[in-house]
Amino acid sequence: MENKIEWETNLRAAIARAQDDDRPVLLDFHNPN
Amino acid sequence: MDAVTYPNLDVIRFIQGHVVPVRLPFDAKPEANDFKVKWTPTLIILDHDGGEHHRITGFLAPEELLPMILLGIGKAHFEREAFTEAIRSLDALLKDYPKSDSAPQAIYYRAVSQYKSTHSAEPLKEAYQKLHAEYPSSEWTKRAAPYRLL
Repeated sequence: MENKIEWETNLRAAIARAQDDDRPVLLDFHNPN
Repeated sequence: MDAVTYPNLDVIRFIQGHVVPVRLPFDAKPEANDFKVKWTPTLIILDHDGGEHHRITGFLAPEELLPMILLGIGKAHFEREAFTEAIRSLDALLKDYPKSDSAPQAIYYRAVSQYKSTHSAEPLKEAYQKLHAEYPSSEWTKRAAPYRLL
């Protein structure tokens, strides 16, 4: 297990993965600055 | 979130095991507009079709983020009328995070899930009694107040 969260950066790809894995999505809008 | 919550090992394990995490900048187009994001952090639980079920704006410590996610998962199940799965997620929240800010809402939705699946009003009344006893100042205690009369 990685010692950090492996974030998707593309919502469409995340939803496709969620469908494959039958999991919900945690969507985090953040300020990268 | 980056300094405290996301580096937490329990948070990493939980997120990797329960959800697909996706992170976008606050001005990502079209997503920030689609989700009407006005402040950060904004955390949203989506089902696997992209439908929104729960959102929180502002910092969450690890002991609040994990129950927030469980509540979102429970609400996603509830809103597609998968009441057994909703109750399972909400039970996990109440077992592991009974002192969290998400707990009163979990009690409320757990009771409504029970009512919707059994048509017995007893869980609603019990939920009000529990909320009144353990979370007297919660908004969810106020929302459940009519159930005291059942």
